[in-house]
Amino acid sequence: MIPNILSWLVFLPLAGALLILAIPKENKNVIRSLAAVTVLAAVLLSILVWISFDRTVSGMQFQQLIPWIDLGFVQINYEIGVDGLSVPMLALSSIVTALAVFASFNIQERVKEFYIFILILLTGLFGVFVALDLFLFFLFFELTLIPMFFIIGIWGGKQKTFASFKYLIYTGISGAILIMSFIAIYFIGMQASGWTHSTFSIPALAEIYANPAAPEVLTSGIRGALFLALFIAFAIKIPVFPFHTWQPIAYAEAPTAATMILSGVLLKMGGYGLIRIGIGVFPDQVARFATLIAILGVINIIYGAVLALVQNDLKRLVAFASISHMGIVLLGIASFTAAGIQGAIFQLVSHGFITALLFFMVGALAERTNTRNISELGGLSKSVPVLAGFTLAAVMAAIGLPGLSGFVSELLTLIGVFGAPADILPAAAVFGVLAGLGIILTAAYLLWAVKRTTFGPMQEKYSTLKDARPIEYIPMVGLLGLSLLIGVYPTILTDVINVTVTDILSRIGG
Amino acid sequence: MLSAFDANWSLMTPEIVLAVLAMIIFTIDFMTGIHGKKPFLGRLSIIALLVTAVLVIFVNPQGGTIGHIFILDPFSMIFKVILLVAVAIVIAISMYYVEKNEDIYQGEYYSIMLFATLGAMLMVSSADLITLFIGLEIVSISSYVLAGFKKHRKKSTEAAIKYVILGGAASAFILYGMSFLYGLTGTTSLYEIGAAIPGVYEQYPFMIMLSLLFMVVGFGFKISVAPFHMWAPDVYEGSPTSVTSFLTVVSKLAAFALVMRVLFIGFGGIIEEWAFIIAVIAALTMILGNLIALAQKNVKRLMAYSGIAQAGYLLVPIAAAFNINVSASTIAFYGVAYVLMVLGAFAVITFVTEESGNEDIASFSGLYKRSPYLALAMGVFLVSLAGLPATAGFIGKFYIFVGAVSGDMLWLAIIMIAMSIVSFYYYFGIIRQMFMREPKTSLDGQPAGTLKAPAGISTVVGVSLAGTIILGFFPGILINFFNSFNWMFMFF
Repeated sequence: MIPNILSWLVFLPLAGALLILAIPKENKNVIRSLAAVTVLAAVLLSILVWISFDRTVSGMQFQQLIPWIDLGFVQINYEIGVDGLSVPMLALSSIVTALAVFASFNIQERVKEFYIFILILLTGLFGVFVALDLFLFFLFFELTLIPMFFIIGIWGGKQKTFASFKYLIYTGISGAILIMSFIAIYFIGMQASGWTHSTFSIPALAEIYANPAAPEVLTSGIRGALFLALFIAFAIKIPVFPFHTWQPIAYAEAPTAATMILSGVLLKMGGYGLIRIGIGVFPDQVARFATLIAILGVINIIYGAVLALVQNDLKRLVAFASISHMGIVLLGIASFTAAGIQGAIFQLVSHGFITALLFFMVGALAERTNTRNISELGGLSKSVPVLAGFTLAAVMAAIGLPGLSGFVSELLTLIGVFGAPADILPAAAVFGVLAGLGIILTAAYLLWAVKRTTFGPMQEKYSTLKDARPIEYIPMVGLLGLSLLIGVYPTILTDVINVTVTDILSRIGG
Repeated sequence: MLSAFDANWSLMTPEIVLAVLAMIIFTIDFMTGIHGKKPFLGRLSIIALLVTAVLVIFVNPQGGTIGHIFILDPFSMIFKVILLVAVAIVIAISMYYVEKNEDIYQGEYYSIMLFATLGAMLMVSSADLITLFIGLEIVSISSYVLAGFKKHRKKSTEAAIKYVILGGAASAFILYGMSFLYGLTGTTSLYEIGAAIPGVYEQYPFMIMLSLLFMVVGFGFKISVAPFHMWAPDVYEGSPTSVTSFLTVVSKLAAFALVMRVLFIGFGGIIEEWAFIIAVIAALTMILGNLIALAQKNVKRLMAYSGIAQAGYLLVPIAAAFNINVSASTIAFYGVAYVLMVLGAFAVITFVTEESGNEDIASFSGLYKRSPYLALAMGVFLVSLAGLPATAGFIGKFYIFVGAVSGDMLWLAIIMIAMSIVSFYYYFGIIRQMFMREPKTSLDGQPAGTLKAPAGISTVVGVSLAGTIILGFFPGILINFFNSFNWMFMFF
């Protein structure tokens, strides 16, 4: 085992970015290969973490704690570690980013800056998923904002400026609410511990909030307010209706590789944060607001699906599909059962692969046909059979075809919802049925879209299109393969998640 | 009574040395004729400042006082070093600027700037209303002159006149406020006033508050906080850009140190009475500065409003002071970050606006192509000013923020965070010009070519960039150092 493997993992991409900074911008191929080597190394390291992760022990592993900043009255530590929730997220981040790097080899403009931003982004993502100190979490959370702003604003589509600023402001607001709630959690935690502890450490705070020495500080109002503030901050990121308006335009305008990372991993920070800090520190409040969360989840599912149904722009369609799929995560959390939370985490990972694949396919088709408008497409299965085939497969995965990963997460979540304890989630069956309806809608809009783009008579102007390039097989096969792998053999993922889910449930139940 | 012979004059060694060096530079200047390029005087000034900084650190590190007039405590030493280094950076920027603008008499420029620095050093070291006012006036009068240094440009003259008239009025407010204080307490010593204040306040609360408010108005003008900030954008825009950087950083920080000394020492006994007033001013300043900055197209005006907003952030630790040492460390840390990021930004701004002959934000368009190094550095400075991670500005803002929450001023902290989000928009507006626009074609249709920054500007940018990033990752180097002091109460 490598000592301090998590720190290596977090700062490896940053080191790669600094190396690229030193290379003259004309050497595009050197830059591309260096970026590829860096992300592949990151994939290997994250898989190493996955393999050496001890599935029998609950709690944090590979921990590292270094005192970092001492303000005199506030102590901030560089505290990192992983549990069964973060390990899959690390692998997801590195794999999706690596495949996005391969998918972006066709970018010709400002290659050097592009890969520098992608690698800084990856450092931010890893940082968020390993941080155990609230300040550190926030630092990495905000760090992801800057590179993505540049990527959308420089390499984006026609409305890139508007999209990048909307992204900047929304994410900025999310960050502002987050830091305010963190500071509040810190100070109230200090009081609740009877002034014995002053800490930003998430595990320590979870302990303080579970067994406060001065319970009178933690009134139900304060707990509720803190949780809701956290929830709103993460809801902007996930995004949850009605905080979602930045998302479709950011997705639509961002270049393909960035959309893959944005939808595949970056937004998972929201779901991850909700589970790590929301459930981690305030399990009782999740129970209290379960109905609200479930309602928002169902709204997300149905609202996203209905809007996806009427989109003419393929990329926006997938963007709304993504909103719809994130509803499942919320529903899983709200169900408050092992199956539901497992489903939510599973969905975070599975959706990461599937949506990245969908966006990649849309990007590949749009690059060839020069349009993303469904009304102008048609008959592509004859001119580009391989791309059309993978598109169909990606759609199947998104719909939840058994054998692919989407099915597992939807099934787990629905089992969780129907089995939800009635005192926490009344009328659980209604939510389950509505979610099922949303899933049917998903099938409708996705299949309809596929029918209109790839099937039908071949159009003359598309008859000469070139099919998939060899390099494009890497992201396509990689993402589909992973979706298939965890779809057919979900245990590979669930046995890592299970330790943590059991841990979470023991805190909820106890 | 203290006689002039008993006083420990060695405490003033740095000031005396700087004064002598400034006069030498002045003398060399008129001996070599008023016109012409004199880069050696610039270099000499930088050396003079750095030598003075070294003297501050190594002569009398244990500190001391001269009667109740002059005080050398950790507070004054740290602020002196910060100010001296800041002025050295400003002079490095100025050396480029005066080369480009031949109507500026270089020798006068450098020596006046050194005299202003002397005033600033006196300000942070004064423990007496008289020395304090003298220091303040040395800085102010030098600044009025500096603002009008481009005498053939109308805007520069306008800036100087505005500054003189309004600045004079502000000084009058301060003096008037001081006169009440002297009348009520019978002393000009800040520490004696501080000891007497609680008792006097019980008898004459109205008069004390009146005195305080007069001084707050006057000082508020000097540090450009709302609603006394109106002069700043016009003066900053009209002044030579290098002078603008001096005004935004050096004048402001010195005045901040002064405000802290007066409020914490002089009025420290009645902190509950004024904390809310300062908090309201801070809130107003953050809101107005940030909102008006949104509409600015001229980069110097934008930096003026940004500077106003930043002054608002710096007021927060004074308003929410639960511990004077913590407030002093917070302001000193943010002060260092502020010096680095603002002067770094001004080095780039001075260079880019001079090269393009245009102060519009659009002059930054496509900077990534024209000078990747400057664009990257400017990007980091702006990100730091906006308070985003991995920069000194992020840590500094967080420090202020937790301090405000600890000081029970949650509402102020919330305004601060909300306004930071607003500031994203205009800081990133410049970033958009630099990275997301192509270079503008000039009048003859040629695309603007690459920019090669001269060594002075590159060095300033490099030092500021390194400082901004290093303090973002390892703020402990400074914070631990600052936290080890008893800032203001070593000798009284």
